[in-house]
Amino acid sequence: MLELLAQTGLNAVYAASYISLIAVGLVLIFGVMGVINFAHGELYMAGAYTVVLMYTDFQVPFFLAVAMGLIFVGCLGLAMERALFRPLRDNPLGGLVASIGFLMILQAVAAMGFGVRMEHIAPVTQAVIEFSDRVRLPVARLYVIIAAVVLLTALWLFLKKTRFGWALRAAAQDPEAAALQGISIKQTARIAMFIGAGLAGIAGALTAPLVSVNPHMGHSVIITAFIVIIVGGVGSLEGAVVASVAYAIIHTFVTTFYDGVIADIVGLSLMLLVLIVKPTGLFGSADRA
Amino acid sequence: MRSVIFIVLGACALLALPHGLSFSQQEILVFLTINILLVSSYRLLTLTGEWSLAHVVIMGVGAYASALYSKELGVWVPVSILLGGATAALMAVLLSFPLFRMKGFYFLIGSFAAGEIIRLLWKRFRDPFGGPKGIKGIEPMPDFSIGIYDFDFFEPVSYYYLSGVVVAVCLWLLWRIERSPVGLTFHAVHWQDKLAEASGVNLRAYRTLAFAIASGFAGIGGGLMAHYVGTINPNSFDVDLMVYVLTWAIVGGTGTFYGPILGCVVLTVLNEIVLRELGFEQMRPLIYGLIMILSILFLPKGLESIVQHLATRRSEKGVKDRRAAE
Amino acid sequence: MTHFLDVDALTMRFGGLTAVDGLSLKVRHGEIHGLIGPNGAGKTTTFNMISGFYKPTSGEVRLRGEVISGLRMHEVARRGVVRTFQHSTLFAEMTVLENALVGTHMAFRPNIFAAIAGWDREDRRGAEARAREALEFFGLDHLKGELAGDLSHGHQRALGLAVAYASHPDVMLLDEPFTGMNPEETRGMMDLMRKLREDGITILIVEHDMQAIMGLCDTITCMSFGKFLAEGGPADIRNHPAVIEAYLGGARHVA
Repeated sequence: MLELLAQTGLNAVYAASYISLIAVGLVLIFGVMGVINFAHGELYMAGAYTVVLMYTDFQVPFFLAVAMGLIFVGCLGLAMERALFRPLRDNPLGGLVASIGFLMILQAVAAMGFGVRMEHIAPVTQAVIEFSDRVRLPVARLYVIIAAVVLLTALWLFLKKTRFGWALRAAAQDPEAAALQGISIKQTARIAMFIGAGLAGIAGALTAPLVSVNPHMGHSVIITAFIVIIVGGVGSLEGAVVASVAYAIIHTFVTTFYDGVIADIVGLSLMLLVLIVKPTGLFGSADRA
Repeated sequence: MRSVIFIVLGACALLALPHGLSFSQQEILVFLTINILLVSSYRLLTLTGEWSLAHVVIMGVGAYASALYSKELGVWVPVSILLGGATAALMAVLLSFPLFRMKGFYFLIGSFAAGEIIRLLWKRFRDPFGGPKGIKGIEPMPDFSIGIYDFDFFEPVSYYYLSGVVVAVCLWLLWRIERSPVGLTFHAVHWQDKLAEASGVNLRAYRTLAFAIASGFAGIGGGLMAHYVGTINPNSFDVDLMVYVLTWAIVGGTGTFYGPILGCVVLTVLNEIVLRELGFEQMRPLIYGLIMILSILFLPKGLESIVQHLATRRSEKGVKDRRAAE
Repeated sequence: MTHFLDVDALTMRFGGLTAVDGLSLKVRHGEIHGLIGPNGAGKTTTFNMISGFYKPTSGEVRLRGEVISGLRMHEVARRGVVRTFQHSTLFAEMTVLENALVGTHMAFRPNIFAAIAGWDREDRRGAEARAREALEFFGLDHLKGELAGDLSHGHQRALGLAVAYASHPDVMLLDEPFTGMNPEETRGMMDLMRKLREDGITILIVEHDMQAIMGLCDTITCMSFGKFLAEGGPADIRNHPAVIEAYLGGARHVA
């Protein structure tokens, strides 16, 4: 029993890692752009396909392929900012619809380029850390955990310590006041979109060998990310991380001890509960509502 | 008098329409008819200013309810479709308790969560919902004859006539509601909820009323679909279809009664007929996505704004002509 | 004896801040009653509590002896106490006549089944007659086809009153009705309010500008820093030392 708990805990840590990478990006984009990016799950999918193309087809070393995924998806984010969100700045519903349109385009491109079947990627490493007979952590999962910790810490330092980070936070809190202080909204928007999309891309790239890569893989991911950002409070990066961990633990344990569908229902009910009781989320401040 | 002639001509055109089409196009026509009801009922909800992401799932509630009433309880199919609509409306009333504590973006996400929960419940409970495989062998509509025409409901043409009549009646009801003082109050709730409340309008009751009516008609649409297709499962009502409904409404425009219908017809014809016939099968979602983006960027008020523009130009021209004649 | 509109020890706290502290005032039937005070005196908070927009922390508002505080806004309105809003809060995208029709909501409660079946012709005709009557009362009938958002500032203010008037109110609560008006518009507005009083409607006006309502009100209540300060006729209030002090002090504070 103890071993089962330990193993489930490890699984939860892994899930929390990639969920928080995705959710933090989504929150960052919402904070600065004021748009819920429905295509965020497809950015994650694009990251995974970058690895399929580069690592499997072109034999590029895995970590180089992952870096390419980050940069490529970051650039997709820049393109979205320029082509969709900037012209639709005053139309939040419009931005949402445009991101749904972009989602369909990305899915169609992936389906045309790679087919709708699942892609199998040769494992990067077969190595497994064995804590005991039944408590094991594949090293490929460890990569994801390390990447999440390193990247999110780096992002946190970037936001707290650098001028860009300061501008980004100011723009997220009050765009007009930030503009008055000489902060370029365009530039902060570009940085936020690159980072936000890039985080989703690297999450997809790193998990590509661990999950089934297909054009519709973004669907369940975006639902999870929505739950997490609502529970954590839309616009709160710390809240997104904490909610990711909480969601991962609850979801993993319910999946292990009951089943996956019940776990999904529990997750969604949790989100509905938070929306009813405190719509600004557990970590959101009232004025962002 | 002229409008009567137009209505008669329009009805004749709609009656003749399926006979010029292939079998698969006739089937699409049936779905188009049902989808018009779906998107028109959706617009009634948007009158109060709220955008839901649960509308398609609510339609599914009607479909599941109608299928189960006829299958398990032996209810006569036409009655079970109406009961399905009533069940969907009731579900909306239940959902309104948690959901109308929220507004705007939070309502959007909250309705999405509520819809997904319902879908997962269908998936989870094999009895009575059939689990992931759904319900198969749903009772078809019983055939009947009206003398000049024998309705055989395995034929899409027959089902098109039936659903066409049902949808026309529903649209007429929706139109009556919108043009009534109730509809005016929906608009008032949308534009200035505080002023409406100060005028004695119970905001919560009116939001719930709009939600329940919209859901009831969506549920009837779901029932019509279930008894035509014969099988339904949780994925028949997934978020992809919701995205289509949203797109129809936005590309068509929600300012007028005909806007969403226009969006639904134009995009369906484009999607199913043009793109499929031209052999762009795989590229369809891509082109669809592009259309969504382009229309939101360059036609934010929807196709209806083009129609309105043309109509005002014509009436202005008419005034000028009359002036010139005087 | 019970008064017509009785505000009794009304208190509102926001967190640690007490915006209104034990305020009492009585409005007699058929009078124009002014509630004045310097900026930040808690007038608007009081107004919002009477109209049902806020729920008071403690205290009561009674109408003909019935407690109406703590009810929701539409419930207060249904008891005959109808408010207007500061600025031009209207249904800007709807026509002037449609705005007034929303005002008739309580008198001719829409019924969806009657509306579908067409059994509500009488009601619809009645509602439209009442809406036109309200527009005529405020001299807006020639504008009934215009969009409310396209009206001039003065007309928008009048329409705000017409929407409230259309509902046959017993009491009208007016929130700073003279703000942003030139002297001529102000005079026109004052005439309209006297007409309303002749029509038997009791009026409670919340106003910052003391001069504007001196010639209009029968009774004036002055409050400062959330508390009752003085009450009386216009002449009493004009010469009341505490009121002068509050306004001068307030002016110094603002300056």
